[in-house]
Amino acid sequence: MRDKKPSFPKPLPSTHLLGTGTPMCAGCGGLQVLHEIYDLLGPKTVFVNAAGCLTLLAVYPFTPFRGGWLYTAMAAAPAGAQGVRDALDILVRQGRLPPEENLEVVALTGDGAAYGMGLSATSSAIERGLDFLYLCYDNEGYGNTGQQYSEATPHAARTATSGGPRGFMGYKKDLFAIWAAHRPAYAATVAGAEMLDLARKAEKAKSLRGPRLILALAPCPTGWDFDPQDTVEIGRLAVKTGIWPLKEYVDGRVVHTKIPRPRLPVEEYLKRQGRFAHLFEPVRQEELLKEIQAQVDAYWARVES
Amino acid sequence: MYRLRFHGRGGQGIKTAGRILGTAFFRAGFEVQDAPRYGAERRGAPIFAYVRAARRPIGERGIIRRPDLVAVADDTLVTIPAAGVLAGVAPHTVLLLSSSTPAEVWRERLQLPGLLLTLPLGEVWEAAAVRFLGATLAGAAARLVGVIPREALVEAIAEELAHLGPSLTTENQVRALAAFDLLAEHAGCVSEGPEPSAAAYEPPRWVELAPEGADLAAPAIHLPATSEAVPTGLWRVVRPLVDRSRCRRCAWICSTLCPDGTISVDGDGFPVIDYQHCKGCLVCAASCPARAIRVVPERQAARVG
Ligand SMILES: Cc1ncc(C[n+]2csc(CCOP(=O)(O)OP(=O)(O)O)c2C)c(N)n1
Ligand code: SF4
Ligand code: SF4
Ligand code: SF4
Repeated sequence: MRDKKPSFPKPLPSTHLLGTGTPMCAGCGGLQVLHEIYDLLGPKTVFVNAAGCLTLLAVYPFTPFRGGWLYTAMAAAPAGAQGVRDALDILVRQGRLPPEENLEVVALTGDGAAYGMGLSATSSAIERGLDFLYLCYDNEGYGNTGQQYSEATPHAARTATSGGPRGFMGYKKDLFAIWAAHRPAYAATVAGAEMLDLARKAEKAKSLRGPRLILALAPCPTGWDFDPQDTVEIGRLAVKTGIWPLKEYVDGRVVHTKIPRPRLPVEEYLKRQGRFAHLFEPVRQEELLKEIQAQVDAYWARVES
Repeated sequence: MYRLRFHGRGGQGIKTAGRILGTAFFRAGFEVQDAPRYGAERRGAPIFAYVRAARRPIGERGIIRRPDLVAVADDTLVTIPAAGVLAGVAPHTVLLLSSSTPAEVWRERLQLPGLLLTLPLGEVWEAAAVRFLGATLAGAAARLVGVIPREALVEAIAEELAHLGPSLTTENQVRALAAFDLLAEHAGCVSEGPEPSAAAYEPPRWVELAPEGADLAAPAIHLPATSEAVPTGLWRVVRPLVDRSRCRRCAWICSTLCPDGTISVDGDGFPVIDYQHCKGCLVCAASCPARAIRVVPERQAARVG
């Protein structure tokens, strides 16, 4: 039976590296992508984790990791990754660490750090050509502190700090484009629900050297206000409505890896989440809904032209 | 001084219950302190919030050890020692359980000296009921202390839940008042506990630790995946059960998508769920294309073994 598993790029693992018993919320989309990607990166990985929900993964004496983990300040994960990378390189060069025991350095942060506080450190790490993988789980807000808005919060979403009738007035920053503008070795968007696409991209990222980004949509039952069992469905709807495009940047080009055809109305995604409930009740905010749909349409018109 | 504690799981509105009751007390002319227990405040995990209210400034700080009322949103927590529901329960303490099991059964089971009441609110895993649990418990608690007028409760809900919009606020008020009315015959059954005297203060029991070298004393973790010692299975209120007759043994779907990585695959290709750690998010059941994962209430599952 088992060889019937779709093998792209190879059978997905059925035993898992990331330990169970973590304090993440039931149904956490961030934990889901981390566990999927960790399986593919393998145990020779060291995580440099900026303050956020996932830093609670490793609270002494408990850790779900099989190897190293380092905690950094919110803005400093890429700087921490530089230090760890340098130390490993020196150890290998001095013959104190066999090359086969060398580690992949992964900066692991939420969107608050990746899109905002840590962006300067990221920019300079890419500029220095640091050999690291940046894994951002994007739950579109400051999850750990109660879902205040971040620079990744989508337009009109309710957050702890955007409680007005129109929700968050700003617009989600395009972190993928910011990375691509730096000409990194690799950048990709993924969703935990699209695990084959994710697996292929994680393998690709692993095979390259230099600065690499995996930007993962991380549906967050707590912050987005939906039932934990819908984590996968919400992720799929994000892709099918085109609000979360799956794409990669490699060799100077952006390629979309899954073009949703036909594209579902973005409403299908929005109405499943409490953080957008005010767009539908007590009255339908037609203009806001149209605006959100128009932005998605404009994006795909550019892609498909 | 009144000292009240709300217990539940992350996502069941415990923090909200504390805030509503605190604000209602305040509107009734009391000095108030209300706070959730800060920590891993995650969906499904046992949490609590507490409220102090007095007619004079409150000098006391920290968690409540000798509660006058313990209100519990989820009766599955009562038997989990780590949840601390019964911690410090004294003869004058009133215990209010949201439970469909009759109060007599609980009295028989727990053999507590004080008054025990139940609120039959329906099953806590039904999303519809959970939405209003916080306000409902606050309404019940307000009646049991007996010093909070209806208007103060109604206004407190309007103030604390304004961000949910008018229709949900009204629905919360209706549910809270229903609980308030239901408990009319027990109005004022909660009494202010005796003031602790300095003489009765019990200092914490210190453990003498001999000084250790930095390699031992530093909080470094030397074993992989120690998180598996944490039984997050206790978070679960519902249990996913694999129906082998329907399972197509595709294995990687549920096993990959389970955010917690608690599903492995046995030699025959069937998924095996680790109930020590499964948090009951039901992502697996929602994602199984064969609908081969059934869901049963944990209470029932535990009975059949
Ligand atoms: C400089 C700094 N400011 C504020 C905080 C408090 N803080 C801890 S986690 C967090 C939220 C981080 O948000 P994000 O990076 O999106 O990760 P998430 O919590 O969503 O996982 C904040 C604000 C901090 N640790 N450091
Ligand atoms: S708040 Fe959201 S991102 Fe954070 S642990 Fe909970 S589900 Fe995960
Ligand atoms: S997803 Fe469903 S059919 Fe596939 S292995 Fe899991 S339980 Fe069986
Ligand atoms: S309910 Fe299913 S998906 Fe959720 S933790 Fe348990 S096994 Fe995993």
